[in-house]
Amino acid sequence: MTSVAHLIKSFTLWEFVKAHALTLKYFFKPKVTLNYPFEKNPLSPRFRGEHALRRYPNGEERCIACKLCEAVCPAQAITIESEPRDDGSRRTTRYDIDMTKCIYCGFCQEACPVDAVVEGPNFEYATETREELLYDKAKLLANGDKWERAIAANLEADAPYR
Amino acid sequence: MTETFQSWGMSYEWAWGLATISGILLIALPLMLAVAMIIYVDRKVWAAINLRRGPNVVGPFGLLQSFADGLKVFLQETIIPSAANKGIFILAPIVTFTVALAAWAVVPFSSTAVLADINVGLLYILAISSLSVYGIVMAGWASNSKYPFFSAMRAAAQMISYEVAIGFILICVVLFAGTYNLNDIVRAQEGFGFGLINAYVIHPLLFPMWVMFFISSLAETQRVPFDLTEAESELVAGYQTEYSSMSFALFWLGEYANILLMCVLNAILFFGGWLPPLNIDLIPWFDIPGIVWLLLKTFFFFFMFSWVMATVPRYRYDQLMRLGWKVFLPISLGFVVVISGYLMATGHYGAAA
Amino acid sequence: MAMKAARKRVKTMPKVTVDGQEIEVPDGATVLQACELAGKEIPRFCYHERLSIAGNCRMCLVEVKPGPPKPQASCALPATDGQEIRTDSEMVKTAREGVMEFLLINHPLDCPICDQGGECDLQDQSVAYGRGGSRYDENKRAVTEKYMGPLIKTVMTRCIHCTRCVRFSEEIAGVDEIGAIGRGEDMQITTYLEQAAEHELSANVIDLCPVGALTSRPYAFEARPWELKKTHSIDVSDAVGANIRLDSRGREVMRALPRNNDDVNEEWLSDKGRYMVDGLGKRRLDRVFIRKGGKLQPADWDSAFKAIAKSRPQGSIAAIAGDLVDCETMFAASTLVKALGSDLLEGRQTGMDYAADNLAAVAFNSTFAGIETADAILIVGSHVRWEAPLVNVRLRKAAKRGAKIFVVGPFWDTTYPAHFIGDDVSVLDNLPDEVADVFEGAERPAIIMGGAALAQGALGAGLAFAAQFKLTRDGWNGFNVLHFSAARMGGLMLGYAQKGGIADIAAAAPKVVLALGADEVDWSQFGGSLKVYIGHHGDKGAHAADIILPAASFAEKDGTYVNTEGRVQFAEKAVFAPGDAREDWTILRALADALKVSVGFDSFAELQSAMIAAVPALGEEGLADYGTLPKADGNATVDGAISAYPIKDFYLTNAIARASEVMQRCSAELLHGGEFAEAAE
Repeated sequence: MTSVAHLIKSFTLWEFVKAHALTLKYFFKPKVTLNYPFEKNPLSPRFRGEHALRRYPNGEERCIACKLCEAVCPAQAITIESEPRDDGSRRTTRYDIDMTKCIYCGFCQEACPVDAVVEGPNFEYATETREELLYDKAKLLANGDKWERAIAANLEADAPYR
Repeated sequence: MTETFQSWGMSYEWAWGLATISGILLIALPLMLAVAMIIYVDRKVWAAINLRRGPNVVGPFGLLQSFADGLKVFLQETIIPSAANKGIFILAPIVTFTVALAAWAVVPFSSTAVLADINVGLLYILAISSLSVYGIVMAGWASNSKYPFFSAMRAAAQMISYEVAIGFILICVVLFAGTYNLNDIVRAQEGFGFGLINAYVIHPLLFPMWVMFFISSLAETQRVPFDLTEAESELVAGYQTEYSSMSFALFWLGEYANILLMCVLNAILFFGGWLPPLNIDLIPWFDIPGIVWLLLKTFFFFFMFSWVMATVPRYRYDQLMRLGWKVFLPISLGFVVVISGYLMATGHYGAAA
Repeated sequence: MAMKAARKRVKTMPKVTVDGQEIEVPDGATVLQACELAGKEIPRFCYHERLSIAGNCRMCLVEVKPGPPKPQASCALPATDGQEIRTDSEMVKTAREGVMEFLLINHPLDCPICDQGGECDLQDQSVAYGRGGSRYDENKRAVTEKYMGPLIKTVMTRCIHCTRCVRFSEEIAGVDEIGAIGRGEDMQITTYLEQAAEHELSANVIDLCPVGALTSRPYAFEARPWELKKTHSIDVSDAVGANIRLDSRGREVMRALPRNNDDVNEEWLSDKGRYMVDGLGKRRLDRVFIRKGGKLQPADWDSAFKAIAKSRPQGSIAAIAGDLVDCETMFAASTLVKALGSDLLEGRQTGMDYAADNLAAVAFNSTFAGIETADAILIVGSHVRWEAPLVNVRLRKAAKRGAKIFVVGPFWDTTYPAHFIGDDVSVLDNLPDEVADVFEGAERPAIIMGGAALAQGALGAGLAFAAQFKLTRDGWNGFNVLHFSAARMGGLMLGYAQKGGIADIAAAAPKVVLALGADEVDWSQFGGSLKVYIGHHGDKGAHAADIILPAASFAEKDGTYVNTEGRVQFAEKAVFAPGDAREDWTILRALADALKVSVGFDSFAELQSAMIAAVPALGEEGLADYGTLPKADGNATVDGAISAYPIKDFYLTNAIARASEVMQRCSAELLHGGEFAEAAE
């Protein structure tokens, strides 16, 4: 009996018909994707996007060249060179992040004792050349200046859980 | 058209030549446009079934996406591998593309709009679609690379396998129509079902034939679920692996032109071609030009092609071969016998045949 | 080894139990040492094996029975028979946590900007033994920073008052430069009136400091310890051959630190050896130069080799070794010179011509560790503090044990009691009675002949002195020559000595002179020769040269060095040489090809084995055996006064140091700053 049913099923392509009915139903369902460049998802305060170097409100850069981010970076994407600044404080002379190496693990911002290096909310920084993704200190500081409000808000939102 | 040109004062030879060239252009250019749009439709349908949006940025509703892609591909560098057989490598996409266009010569868009209204139209189509495997085999061979080569072998075997079944299915249709002329086949379907429905497909003996023809046309054009030649998990990109830029685009265009051809054939052979679906003058039913009916039917089949693509997973190669040789071939052969018997018994072929 | 020796004297060895494990410890050991012998780690800050016991950090608390029912500082408690010591009890754990919490009360916890971060005892031990948080929420103490000179950077807020630095300068260096003022919370470590620390070993307090209070000023904020590649090397700033570790990052040597070697440098290093490494990146010869029309013009290797070949050096070539070259380079050069049919080799650049046929007569035979045990020492013409600061530390130890020390030569501050018995070396033949009496009665008498004495030709008189007072006796050889260039002993072993010194070579007027980093030679005597300088710094030698072939410094090549004791030591390559510079032996090998002779080696390994085949002693690390002293010529006499010592400026004795900004600043500030200040007054 079952074999007869099986035979009928296979000759009527029953499974295929069922499958196509299902997919046809899906064809008319509302779409789940966002209309990306025009609509965006809300981001978590913990979102790990493009890196930035922050400043204190008085304009002094936060980074003190402790090199903990460099040490913790599992992709070895960070390169730091440091020396005493004229006023004797410990500062970086070079702070490079190779964004092509970075794996966005966020260890650098976890390691930073002064919240200087952060992964900001920006994720739209595609470039035309590879070289543009080798960020130097000036670029990172500019990022920090540009995104400071959003970064500060994120840090504050996440502060109770840190 | 020849007459029109003659009435402008041209000699017959010139008028005929000009008419033929304009006829070719009149088919080929809109066809290219149609291919571009059909690629867009393909992506949209597929996306919709996947609950995605599909291309929606370039142009209104993303309509210009295919042109953007075409421009991108056109601007890219044509890479010819140093190990490739250069001449054949360049020739292969051209062959594929040309052959895909050539078949359209005998397609009747309406009772009069056909470039070559020849009596062996169906044979011509069979012959041309068999040629399309050449482009792929040439590409696979000339690339001098193992994946394209494997892909070309598969393509050749696959096309030969399904052409046999297609041949027998077409014989069934020809038996019913009594002609190889595509226009006559269409005309023969007028009022075929109870004097009401203009389609062969409603005949209980021809409906299974159409199902097999549809599946075979998927296989013939290497569409999902029979896209073994481009199985990216096994063969990278199949015979196109080494191609880039315009040569790649030519393959692409040829492939979609072939798909469109198969949709058109589905419409012509089983669904009444340029005839309206019903043989009743409901609205100004017969006043709508035949080409509109044909295009609507073609579009419906193309939607089915996309629908299948979004539904069914790819076959294994041995399953593909089994289906072609052990299922379709015996069944279609059997149906040729059954239909012939049926036609003899019902007296369609009297002493006249 | 100390334990084995101790085990023989069973009677005096106390038996103690450490965490239930019974062990015997040497007599006089402290509880801390007993615990170490038992394999227990005791945290400590103030305790240091080479310094006196202070017992003021309280980190080494352990539980000891019998005794008062409270934890006791193990570093200051003698181990006695039957003690039961616990290092793993709850009491000890709580005590350590408490001490750590107290130590951290006033510590700023600014590890991210502290150079000690990553190699800090306080950091490590607070992680290992601390309680993880502080209950202190009052204001922390802050201390003003003190100026301690161009080498030591201070952040005195970080100081935990272990007084290691104070004890070092008092006990090891022998100068009262660093001290503590105030008591309790107000205690501050400082130099007197914030003078710079001027002693040649002052930078060792940086290593000693267990926190980041004293850090290296030239290295400030340069690198983190985890970034650095550590390479074992040998200090070439003097002939002591201190064992050092070169910390490099990329192609740059960031710093030099001493390695422990009780036979050579204990765990100290002179400031010059430590800080001249910044000169490795400055004034470097990184391309080939050829003198054209009186001016040095950049050129390529081929044309340089062709120019040398053109001057036809066959049979008329000499090699002069500088102070910093390794044995392999000298051997490669001597092989080349001999292959060209010449034997003109010299390493004593300043013209000394003492006999070098018996190397025992020109070595520091007592050994550095041995000289500590001498009880009467005569220093002839040596400013030991400048020529070998680490030997001066040994002499100070000997003096503290009661050795009588006499010096012939102009006055210098010895840091220990010493009698200056005039500048005239003739005093060797005719010692004052009181000095002679001391040497007559001494069990382990010793003489140290310095560079000034050798220049004065006093070697024979010294040997006569050795014979007269029986300086060689059973298990003791008191005859010492103190060189001050790292290449000297190796050069003498490889035959870099002409009978008449460098004057012989000048007299032979060779067509080509190969200067292997020789910067101290008076090049005017080689006016007719083609001077080929194979070296790494654009110093005096390079200025005089006709062709400069850029070579590698000691940090940029593997090499063997022999110190003034005759101790063969091996240094490893830390970084690559800059620019076109190549390792010296490869230059000499290529030059051999250009001159169409065979030197018989194609790789460094082949060169080394050829060298060892020629001088087997160079193949084994450790003291070379030079045999016995030559028979003294009883009639050897000497006269003349030592007017000055050869080293005029401690910080600028070699090409690397002269290129170093740090050394230049030290020289200006520590040696000449006083003069300037006085002149201004």
